[in-house]
Amino acid sequence: MSLIQINHLKKSFRGTEVIKGIDFQLDKGKCIALLGPNGAGKTTTLRMLSGLMEPTDGTIIFTDAKKGEDIRELIGYLPQFPVFYEWMSGLEFLSYAGRLAGLGRKEAKDRSLELLKLVGILEAKNRRVAKYSGGMKQRLGIAQALIHRPQLIMLDEPVSALDPIGRREVLDMLEGLKKETTILFSTHILNDAEEICDEILFLHNGKIVESGSMAELRERHQQPKIDLFFTGKSGEYAEIFSNHKLTHSISVEGNRVSVFVTNIVLARQAFLRLIAEQNLPLERFEVSSMTLEDVFMKVVGK
Amino acid sequence: MNQWSTLFQKELIEMWRNFKWVWVPITFILLGVSEPVSSYYLPQIIDSLGGLPEGTVIEIPPPTASEVLIQGLSQYTTIGVLIIVLSTMAIIAGERKSGVAAMILVKPVSYFSFITAKWAGGFLLLWVSLLIGSIATWYYTGILFDWIPIDLFFQSYLLYGLWLTVVLTLTVFFSASLLTPGIAGFTSLAVVFVFTLVTGPLSNWLEWSPSQLTNYANELLLSSAIPDDTLPASLLTLACIIILLWLSVFIFRKKELAS
Amino acid sequence: MDVLVNNLPILAPIFIIQLILIIVAIIDLIRIETTNGPKWLWVLIILFINILGPILYFVIGRKRY
Repeated sequence: MSLIQINHLKKSFRGTEVIKGIDFQLDKGKCIALLGPNGAGKTTTLRMLSGLMEPTDGTIIFTDAKKGEDIRELIGYLPQFPVFYEWMSGLEFLSYAGRLAGLGRKEAKDRSLELLKLVGILEAKNRRVAKYSGGMKQRLGIAQALIHRPQLIMLDEPVSALDPIGRREVLDMLEGLKKETTILFSTHILNDAEEICDEILFLHNGKIVESGSMAELRERHQQPKIDLFFTGKSGEYAEIFSNHKLTHSISVEGNRVSVFVTNIVLARQAFLRLIAEQNLPLERFEVSSMTLEDVFMKVVGK
Repeated sequence: MNQWSTLFQKELIEMWRNFKWVWVPITFILLGVSEPVSSYYLPQIIDSLGGLPEGTVIEIPPPTASEVLIQGLSQYTTIGVLIIVLSTMAIIAGERKSGVAAMILVKPVSYFSFITAKWAGGFLLLWVSLLIGSIATWYYTGILFDWIPIDLFFQSYLLYGLWLTVVLTLTVFFSASLLTPGIAGFTSLAVVFVFTLVTGPLSNWLEWSPSQLTNYANELLLSSAIPDDTLPASLLTLACIIILLWLSVFIFRKKELAS
Repeated sequence: MDVLVNNLPILAPIFIIQLILIIVAIIDLIRIETTNGPKWLWVLIILFINILGPILYFVIGRKRY
């Protein structure tokens, strides 16, 4: 069941096209990662979806939105660097956000307390936000995005700025939120996406270069691979394999040569023979399939 | 309306927490009162310091009560304007620069309410501070010089308030349409300055100019009669305020909140 | 000095509100996280520049947000 439909979305800044026409849809109840290297256009995309930026071209359609309804009622948004009124307490800011989103006075306060508990900063509810640590601000930011029970929450790099413990806690929290709402979050860290998301959108240079569920992605890119580790520079040896008829593509990193092959059984025999014949200084020979990281590298064209 | 009052209350609480409700009225009192006090005590202070040297003949006719009150109130059109502009220039630009405006405006908040609630907060602070300050000035003028009829005083208070509201609205407008508080403040001051300067020599032309209102208030205090052009000038001023406010909302809505 | 003593009922309220202004500025300075420029300098300005000191602090010394 589709929640939001994005068609041919484009954004230019002073003539430079940053988002080059992207199409996707988000399904209800899913957790979707918007994955891409820095500068891929993740933040710009989220800002357009949240209504903070006007798209240069294209449409964003909420399936459930009634005619003339303010789409901001349906979404919660956490910017990469959340900012608050520092003179308010955490509870005051949340209640304020709740009141602005249309909750009654009592309702806003109750909901705020509930969320402060959920994100684990209830004991700091009366402290001024100015005194909050970075991690606490991030949590308060997530709470304010949830205040009006939106159908979709969008989080811009919610864990990038946190230390490992804070990261773990926020990821666990998102895992719990999946039951309540649809989550779209951007990240440049593969593990985060892999860990809690059902679906992935790969954004690169303003285009969606790959998308789908984890399983779909693995299947689509399932290509057997042989990792060869050599002593010294591996670059010189890569050439020997790159011209081989069983080789599909090749990548070199440090002393590792990864060769994607068309037939793993034949390639294993052929490569071992080749190494023996030419007396190459092999350290390790590994047969594996693609990881998400390989998919990532492949789609961004490295 | 509910949302508007939430936004408005936030402004009032913020002005309380950062002590604007204390320091702006006090400043307005001190600004205005210093005039009657110093006019009254200056001769005495000179005397108590041993008087003027023998032979110096300086005829300073003692000022009338109206002149003293006018001098006191005119502080509000100089230093008062400076304080209004400097304390208002960040009202929108500051929140946008810090990013907190984006946090608020991803909620279903009307841009119209966002701007007008802020303006209304500044409006209330201005009129209350001006009332306290000018009443204090009027009172000190009364006990040290002579009592000005309260209705005359009150009419001139309204005219001063109206002009200062133009200054406030202009600052809100530039704060909404320019990116940085400093530039917004500077531009507002420049516009007010040019306005006041141009109105002087061209007063035949610009009889309905908002910046004439304080001159009319002064004439009113001196002659006890409302000058002819006061009403049209006031109406034009009201129109200017409404248009500026509407433009603020219009331009702010067109601007992207994130850059 | 006589001038001051004779007119105390008139001048006292002015001194009192000046004092309030100074106190409020100092309280705010203590509570605020950061100021434009060093805090100790603002203490001196508030205490020693009559009337203008506290006003200057509120207008340009305070850092918003």
